[in-house]
Amino acid sequence: MKNFLLILTVFISAIFLVAAIRGISGSPSVDDLNSITWKENGPFELSPERGRFALTYSLVEERSLNFSTALARFVTPDLGYWDGKYVSLFAPAVSFLVIPGYLLGKFIGISQVGSFFIISLFAIANFILIVKISETLGANNRASVLAGLIFLFATPSFAYAINLYQHHISTFLILLCSFLLIKKDKSWLQLLIVWFLITFSLVVDYPNFFLMFPLGLAALIKVLKFRQTTKIYKISFKFSSLLSLSSAFLPLILFGIFNFYSYGSPYRLSGTIASVSSIDSGGEPIFPLDIKETFGNDFQGKGESALGFFRTRNIVNGLYVHLLSPDRGVAIFSPVILFGILGIYFLHKNKFTVLFLSIVVMNIILYSMWGDPWGGWAFGSRYLIPGYAIMSIFISIALTKLSKNKTLLIFFSLLLTYSIAVNTLGAITTSTNPPKIQAIPLQDVTGKIERYSYDRNWEYLNTFGSKSYVFREYVSSYINARSYYFVLTTLISGLSLGIIPLLYLSKTK
Amino acid sequence: MEISFSKNKISKLALQLEKKATIFIFCFLSSISIIFFYAYYINGLGLAYNDARSHLDIGRRVVEGLKPGLAQLGSVWLPLNHALMIPTIWNNWMWHSGLAGAVQSMISFVITGVVVYKFLEKLNVGLLARVFGVLVFILNLNVLYLQSTAMTELLLLSTMTAGCYYLVLWAKNDDLLSLIKSALFIMLSTLVRYDGWFLLFVTTAIVAFNVFRKKGYKQMEGKVILFVTLGVFGVALWFLWNLLIFNDPLYFALGPFSAHAQQSQLSEAGDLPTKFNLLLSLKIYVYALLYNSYTIPAILGVSGMVLFLLDKKIKREIRIASLSLIAPFGFNVLALFLGFSVLFVQGISGNSLFNVRYGVMLAPSIAIFIGYLVDKVKSLRIPLIGLASFIIFFAFVNQDAVTIDDARVGSSQKNVSEVSGWLSQNTSDKDGFVLISAASHDAIIFSSGLPMKKFIHEGTGLYWESATTAPDKWARWIVLRTYDDNDLTFRLIKDAPGFKRFELVDSYPFADIYQLKEEYLGNLNTKPVFSNQK
Repeated sequence: MKNFLLILTVFISAIFLVAAIRGISGSPSVDDLNSITWKENGPFELSPERGRFALTYSLVEERSLNFSTALARFVTPDLGYWDGKYVSLFAPAVSFLVIPGYLLGKFIGISQVGSFFIISLFAIANFILIVKISETLGANNRASVLAGLIFLFATPSFAYAINLYQHHISTFLILLCSFLLIKKDKSWLQLLIVWFLITFSLVVDYPNFFLMFPLGLAALIKVLKFRQTTKIYKISFKFSSLLSLSSAFLPLILFGIFNFYSYGSPYRLSGTIASVSSIDSGGEPIFPLDIKETFGNDFQGKGESALGFFRTRNIVNGLYVHLLSPDRGVAIFSPVILFGILGIYFLHKNKFTVLFLSIVVMNIILYSMWGDPWGGWAFGSRYLIPGYAIMSIFISIALTKLSKNKTLLIFFSLLLTYSIAVNTLGAITTSTNPPKIQAIPLQDVTGKIERYSYDRNWEYLNTFGSKSYVFREYVSSYINARSYYFVLTTLISGLSLGIIPLLYLSKTK
Repeated sequence: MEISFSKNKISKLALQLEKKATIFIFCFLSSISIIFFYAYYINGLGLAYNDARSHLDIGRRVVEGLKPGLAQLGSVWLPLNHALMIPTIWNNWMWHSGLAGAVQSMISFVITGVVVYKFLEKLNVGLLARVFGVLVFILNLNVLYLQSTAMTELLLLSTMTAGCYYLVLWAKNDDLLSLIKSALFIMLSTLVRYDGWFLLFVTTAIVAFNVFRKKGYKQMEGKVILFVTLGVFGVALWFLWNLLIFNDPLYFALGPFSAHAQQSQLSEAGDLPTKFNLLLSLKIYVYALLYNSYTIPAILGVSGMVLFLLDKKIKREIRIASLSLIAPFGFNVLALFLGFSVLFVQGISGNSLFNVRYGVMLAPSIAIFIGYLVDKVKSLRIPLIGLASFIIFFAFVNQDAVTIDDARVGSSQKNVSEVSGWLSQNTSDKDGFVLISAASHDAIIFSSGLPMKKFIHEGTGLYWESATTAPDKWARWIVLRTYDDNDLTFRLIKDAPGFKRFELVDSYPFADIYQLKEEYLGNLNTKPVFSNQK
């Protein structure tokens, strides 16, 4: 029964993800990519997706780590320039990882959908890991499955499970490390994998260094054994455990090689090289104005080092943006996630609570310090996706403890339905939601009301329809986008809410 | 592989460390203090605050100038900071390096750090949390910067924190000596800034409440009188000083150079939005507080405070006495609300930063409450330390100090190098005085590097009166803001016939420079003739 529910929900969830996955028919050539059909109106609406896909494309089609001029045009404005060559500004692992999906997709004529599908697979893996971790921490199987569904469909992670972003891969690495670390059986092989994953995460997204930090410490504690007798303290470690640390070097070596061929030095990170705002008709780069010279010292722009992006003075605004703001706030986009706070309370005596809580706090604080806490134009707070995953685990604990509390379950169901409705809307429409500070001045340019919360997605749905590949290719001839949205929302809500009665009826320990 | 440590040896080491901790902290903080003073001295930021230069000039005028003497302590700012400069400010290097003013801030920094440690010790907080509390206080670039300057913040922090510390000690042990010590330090704080006056009021209320609750009215009356007699001594002296020097005991509050007068101008210009707006006052001060503390430590501090106030294991009297630690919050919000104070935080009020350093006033309180929190919440001890360290790491990596930004690019700075450079180049080797309003241009006086006796300003008595009546007889150069009646020199000489004998030689953003025409130099007095004036 335990595995049946999990297998069933994984299967159905995969169908929902496929139903929402962005894309259009065809495998684009480099010239196609620069058209509005593939960019603004298509699956590559924002530069993070374009930058990563371009590197995949370049690797597969052009056998190069650098971008041709045409491909570079597609990538702007998140484009780097080094030693007379156009290069990627993003950490490279995502582009490499989606290559199998790209090739498979190309084989059936939808290379971009194939690439996106790899991300969906990671999202599914995250779902499974949430269930497994929740169960390991003592949550009921039904509550654990529901927590997985919450992460997948009731948070902005849904909107980033169906296109080319790094968040689900980062989350996967965090969850897998966590799972290996909380497992009772200890072996050097586990630690070998953990160290590998920790350093590999840096190649996926540089800030993962900080998100992985608590896990690194936990792994280190696993290497060392502390004991005490009446007279002495003993610190011991197995040589094989210590040797497991060597696996951490492999991703770093590969990363160094990539950096060397891309940016001329194994130690140079892409975030620190010159960025190009656009390319002129002759193919020459146009660099952004020296903003500091223009605006003086008041301007808080790109720092001189990678760490310069994170500023403590941004925290106040960052916390507001991530937690409460109408344009990105958790309270607006995914209030159901706040139930996790109850789980933290119930689990506060567990030795792993501190580890999980540290990851969540690190996630929130790190991206509150980030100069652009909005994540550019985006749907919800995309940077908090690892945090949503951990909070979902806490939700599973809260639901297990409160499974007989009818009032709470009703309230929870309402919030869950609301959260699913909001995030399904984001997933099947667009992620091009400007932050409020850009939306307001934008109104003067466009002459119309520029919405910045999920109401923008509702507007998009009613005006332009859906960006879902399945909808565009197979369903749009039968029903309109709004109906598609309602059907999908109803099905996801039905699946999730259907577990609540099962949870209520489950035996308490 | 295995490494063993003897428990016995470790506990002995811990015991030794604990015994010597105060000395160790004192030495460590002293080293940090000197290193950071040197760093800010070398990069020139130590004197970036306009107010720092004014403080140094006030101290200098007491010992050097056309009319030196204690009366030069003036009424704009409370006198303790300047009085403490007197032993060292006579030395030109001490004056122009800012060390004469900074040395008190540095000593205060060390004292405050030690008091934070002792405070936590008296609350029975463990060694790790005590040391962590001290680190939270000192690993703050705003604190480290202000301790390197001739500003008043650190002196105020040390006197106020010491006052609160002894008040808590009194609440704990009920010994009169601690109460008297508390009154003494609070009295000193009343001579540094008006924040101390509010603290005096709050602590008096705390003393009254605590004694009344426990021992009734009669005992309360006695203790309050004892506490207030010493506590209010500084305030009384200040009234007396103003009466004796300016013939008005309220001159400091209502005089032409008072904060009240400055705020009235701002209010009339619509630049005092916090006045009678409690929500905005609260918001602006909270922002200043968060910016000065890097936000997360402030949040942790508030959590620690709540936990502390709810901790039934701690005597109620101690908990109530500890409320004095948050008096600066009440004072600053109230001062903004009543329009006695001005504070700009970019994006909320004004387009620049101004006086944002007021947010640092709760730094020791945050450190104490975080220390308590770390000690109390054992299961979260390591994550809490990790979190605070994480924030501090980024603050240091990115040199995040809002007080430095205020001093460098905010409204608290004043780049007068052009005017002062001109004065330095063109007047140092020539006879004659410079007529200038110190109230408007103290930074120019300081930055020129010229001796104080070269300047005729408001505090020079007969020189000032004579020079503003007949400038061509007494001043060879005049520095003022033309057509600005807020500049006292311009206001007084604009209609004087002698002013027409000057020619404008240069004009800068902060002031214009006039020079007496060559043909009138014959009648110019270039010697200090009123040497006996009182």
